[in-house]
Amino acid sequence: MAGLINAEPPANPDEYRNVMIFLESRNGELKKPGLEMISVGSAMAHKVNEILIGIVFGDKVGDMVKQAGEYGCDRVIGYESPDLKDFRTIPYATLLSDLIVELKPNILLIPATRNGRDLASRIAVRSRTGVTADCTELDVDPNGRILQARRPTYGESTLAEILCKRHRPQMATARPGIFAVPERNPNAKYESEIRKAKIKKEYLRKEIVDFKPKTTVDLTSARYIVSGGLGLGKASGFKLIQELADEIGAYVGASRPTVDLGWIGRDHQVGQTGQSVRPELYIACGISGKAQHLMGMKLSQNIVSINTDPDAEINGISDYIINADLYEAIPKLIEAIRKKKAELKKEAKPEADGKKKEVKEKAAEK
Amino acid sequence: MIEMALEIIVMIKQVPDSSEVVIDPVTFTLNRGAARNVINPADENAVEQALRIKDQNPDTHITVITMGPPFAESALLDCMARGVDRGILVTDRAFAGADTYPTGLTLAATITKIGKFDIIFAGEESTDSSTGHVGPGVAEFLGIEQASYTSNSWVEDGKVYAERQLEDGVETVRMEPPCLITVLTNSNIPRNATLRMKIDAMKRGIETWTLNDIGLKPEWVGLKGSPTIVKSMKSIQEKKREGKKFTPDQMDDFVNELVSKGILKLGDE
Repeated sequence: MAGLINAEPPANPDEYRNVMIFLESRNGELKKPGLEMISVGSAMAHKVNEILIGIVFGDKVGDMVKQAGEYGCDRVIGYESPDLKDFRTIPYATLLSDLIVELKPNILLIPATRNGRDLASRIAVRSRTGVTADCTELDVDPNGRILQARRPTYGESTLAEILCKRHRPQMATARPGIFAVPERNPNAKYESEIRKAKIKKEYLRKEIVDFKPKTTVDLTSARYIVSGGLGLGKASGFKLIQELADEIGAYVGASRPTVDLGWIGRDHQVGQTGQSVRPELYIACGISGKAQHLMGMKLSQNIVSINTDPDAEINGISDYIINADLYEAIPKLIEAIRKKKAELKKEAKPEADGKKKEVKEKAAEK
Repeated sequence: MIEMALEIIVMIKQVPDSSEVVIDPVTFTLNRGAARNVINPADENAVEQALRIKDQNPDTHITVITMGPPFAESALLDCMARGVDRGILVTDRAFAGADTYPTGLTLAATITKIGKFDIIFAGEESTDSSTGHVGPGVAEFLGIEQASYTSNSWVEDGKVYAERQLEDGVETVRMEPPCLITVLTNSNIPRNATLRMKIDAMKRGIETWTLNDIGLKPEWVGLKGSPTIVKSMKSIQEKKREGKKFTPDQMDDFVNELVSKGILKLGDE
């Protein structure tokens, strides 16, 4: 534990080499936010002739170590113990801090998930260094091998570049859904090592007494989102939203007031206190566009606003505006989409049978 | 169930009211100039969570602390009017420009000076910097367990339980006090203070501590004690949005446009 001590730079920061990433997992499987750091981590490491070291903790880590190597880590270290089956702050922070002392990484990346941030906060204090939260751009300046950690701030309007020049490791958490997962290469060459962890009893005082998995509504990686706001007027309005979403294979989003009213679950909430999304298409239905909502969706590639109010704030950032009652416009939109689908199907008919069959099978799955 | 006399500390921060912050339509930057200062929303939920534990265990004593400028006194008084027993403002010019490391250190030193505690509550993150690092950082400085991103917490048979909302599920943890809990925004509905309680809070007043009181070196706190620096800020270039209009009777044309521009792909997946 840190004690009341200041942040302190190492006497010789040049001793610190390589990029280390912590790969999150659940039930023996690596999770996407960790894999997303591999490309950017490896690009930074190779830029300055260093390697990318992946760290994996779990009950059994063999498969995950292999996976981390095949996704592009140059070296993978796995720690296994039944005590590491689930993420717990103290045992995970202790092991990872010990690895930092042992391997002296120049840069340490951790996913900006809830458990990732939980861990990163403690690691930074224990290593007496700085950490930049929720980065969307990461690069390394070859001059001094300084991490350039960039994060959106002031409600996504500004990109701040944060440096941690003297302290090591230079830490950042990476926002999920921003960096792409690399291709897996079964022939990748990498070095790996699996260690047995022995965790002190005193580090295991926090017990996980229950875990209820939830079918997540991960809006952050959604391609299309149809969102409903107070303009729906009633909870049942989300049925219409769902219908439109189903028609185009979209996820359902919501503004905060509808969530606060209990019309829809909080995991659908888009905005400052909900999820930040950047789909290819965002259809905002009956959403006026308060600043908190816009912060969470204004990076969407295309925005459609369906609203009775011609002066709705969201119209100011919309590519398409349908100034109408959503209960009139959405059914007509659904109708038009069905018509278009039928047209496209007709055009596609002369095509090879195989593809058609595949489409049919997919439709049947739904 | 045995009622317990608990010592609870809540860490809060005063922030500009984000519902009054507007996005400049031209530059897309936040105009905070006009915004009022309020208690960070998640911290209000943290205070409410502490008060709920006090409702169950009436002998509980709650202290709310904040590091901030002198005008942050109003945030502390607001908490005291809702039922918090003691308010401490830690303020010093030396604290200015702190990143999350010295902020956590300053709060941890303040808590150490307060002395005994069973549970520390904090909001999940602040709306003006959104890192979520300070709460767990304080737990590390103090060497105690933590449960972050919680939607509920309670005390039973001397143990502290908390429900953590994770991306892939809800985890319930059991901890021995002392421990630290960070509370999610909107996880409860904060109570209002009555006029009488407001007057009472003003009468009781807050305590003000400075760097001297918490025994840290000046170079350990504020900007000097911060490992990170903000090198630059640039506004994120926003895409120009045309705002092309369609009526409900032009939905066929609208769908054609989305499909022909490749914005909406129908049929493939």
